Amino acid sequence: MPESQHIIELKKLTKYYKGSNEPAIDNINLDIDNGEIYGLLGPNGAGKTTTISILCGLFAPTSGNVFIDGMDYQHSAEKIKNIIGVVPQDIALYPSLTARENLTFFGHMYGLKGKYLKTRINECLELFGLEKNANRRIKTFSGGMKRRINLIAGILHKPKIIYLDEPTVGIDVQSRNVILDHLRNINKEGTTIIYTSHYMEEAENFCSKVAIIDKGNIITEGKPKELIKSKEEYTDLESIFLNITGRALRDE
Amino acid sequence: MLRLLSSIYKELLVLIRDRAGLAILFIMPIVLIIIMTLIQDATFRTVKEVNISMILINNDKDSLGEAIRKGLYESEFFQIVEEIDGAKVTNKLAEELVAKGNYKIAIIIPERATEAIRGNVNALINKSFKSINIPGTRKRTRKSTINITIYIDPATNQSFQNMVMSSLKEFTSQLEIEMFFKNFSEALAKLIPGQEPIKFESFETIKYKEIYASTEEINILPNPVQHNVPAWTMFTIFFIVLPMAGNIIKERDDGSAFRLKTMPGSFITVMFSKIFIFLGVAFFQFILMLLVGVYLMPTMGLPQLEIGPHKIALAVMALASGLAATGYGVAIGTIATTHEQAATFGAVSIIIFAALGGIWVPVYVMPHTIKIISQFSPLYWGLNGFYDIFLRGGDLIVIIAEAAKLVFFFILMLLVAVIYNNYNKAK
Repeated sequence: MPESQHIIELKKLTKYYKGSNEPAIDNINLDIDNGEIYGLLGPNGAGKTTTISILCGLFAPTSGNVFIDGMDYQHSAEKIKNIIGVVPQDIALYPSLTARENLTFFGHMYGLKGKYLKTRINECLELFGLEKNANRRIKTFSGGMKRRINLIAGILHKPKIIYLDEPTVGIDVQSRNVILDHLRNINKEGTTIIYTSHYMEEAENFCSKVAIIDKGNIITEGKPKELIKSKEEYTDLESIFLNITGRALRDE
Repeated sequence: MLRLLSSIYKELLVLIRDRAGLAILFIMPIVLIIIMTLIQDATFRTVKEVNISMILINNDKDSLGEAIRKGLYESEFFQIVEEIDGAKVTNKLAEELVAKGNYKIAIIIPERATEAIRGNVNALINKSFKSINIPGTRKRTRKSTINITIYIDPATNQSFQNMVMSSLKEFTSQLEIEMFFKNFSEALAKLIPGQEPIKFESFETIKYKEIYASTEEINILPNPVQHNVPAWTMFTIFFIVLPMAGNIIKERDDGSAFRLKTMPGSFITVMFSKIFIFLGVAFFQFILMLLVGVYLMPTMGLPQLEIGPHKIALAVMALASGLAATGYGVAIGTIATTHEQAATFGAVSIIIFAALGGIWVPVYVMPHTIKIISQFSPLYWGLNGFYDIFLRGGDLIVIIAEAAKLVFFFILMLLVAVIYNNYNKAK
């Protein structure tokens, strides 16, 4: 177990899917500091989802190591799962259940119970402006409301690390601002956030550090402002992204 | 434990809030079981009670024609049609009407058929008394063949055809015996002075006593309800595979499975909660079927379902069948990538299992190879177990082997799902 201040460490991480000669991720080394809002950016098929899936323990890499808060999945999968929170891009909720029922179920899955869970659910619902809709079924919610509940389900247990996969996709500006503001607040309390997005402007403003991944490799990494300053032709994160990954269309 | 209980509660909420799905889960099996039992009952009645229209063309106008005619009328199996629109039916019209399916069968007795039989009987008697000259007897020794034409609708059930043929054979042989006896008696009377011809009296020398074999003291009477309720209950229990596989695929498609896999605790907990809920549904379906058999079917003119005294055996078989079905649902839900795959494969495979299990055609009449394959159908094990209880009065000891096979199938299916899941994870 390495002694490190990094909350996430990827060492020579490589993943080949069965039947494929091309690696989905190729010998990636990455250190993410505690308290960072770290953006994993890249075009479709770049290797972001594979990286996140390995970070969440969904499958093992072909080679290399992953350390989460100094632990690895081989030895401490359950401990790691207790300190991470995942917010998938899909609305991973049960539409026929109310917001409260969904959150109670996911809270129980994280081992929360009783009065603490009830208080925590109320607190989160209030924080995201959904307390009046707690007993409504998810299928009656707007897209933005669903996104907020989707987010709450991943942060209910106050994880040390949150993985956010396109958390603001397909929602209005108001909901987006509410989500990002609250994520900033959560981050200020010490939670590390790993974030993927296709919205470059959002990533530029939201992330403290970003890595641009393409074809399974990290092409560049750094603080958004420093990256923009690094070359004269760079005006914003999007110009860096297009410069590095090219303008050709990508399909997953 | 909290995770399992919470998962079970969540599955229960998801299930009961899908009212249409819930109605389908319970109402459709009831509809199926009632319709199938009524149909089977109707088939049973076809032979006994339902009058099937039949054309009879009697060109003989003598003893044979009359004997067949009388026999057919008296049998009450058939509604005999000899005239249509006041005119005698011709051979050609009879063939046409049967070919169109308007009538199931037409029987045409040829002219002088009785005379031909009489000739044959006399020929036989003459052959027997060859050395004795019986006064007045004809010297004919040559036999002639009588051709009774029978037109059959190609869509007619084979067993119905067999029944008609055996009835006809019975009428003709009875007549032949009568004729033989009469002529033989007359010949003897001519040989023995003072001997009067004896009048033929028909009586049943041999009587058949049908008893359904049972090692138990109770003797449950087999009938369409006793056969169909267990058979179709087993079938519908297995159809739980479809909503269950659908539930697993939906959870995977909407990302909930992804989220659950990133959470602490084994994902198997989530699967066990599904098994628990759907096992409950299967058991409830089973209870409902029994209630339909006991209380609803008698109001529809069907016999009442006899549950018998071995209720624990019944519960064990129901649970074992439910486990086999839910295990199969988990395997299909894990392996199938779309709802379409799961629905098509699931439904067709259950129908194959059911066919092999003997739900439509009894296994004992199947070809040898199919019989061997049948031994591996979970529906065959289930059906055998239920028949042991419902028809043979079997207890827990009798059905335990079948129940164990079903539980083994459940474990096997879970293993298949786990192995496939791990294989996918390692991709």
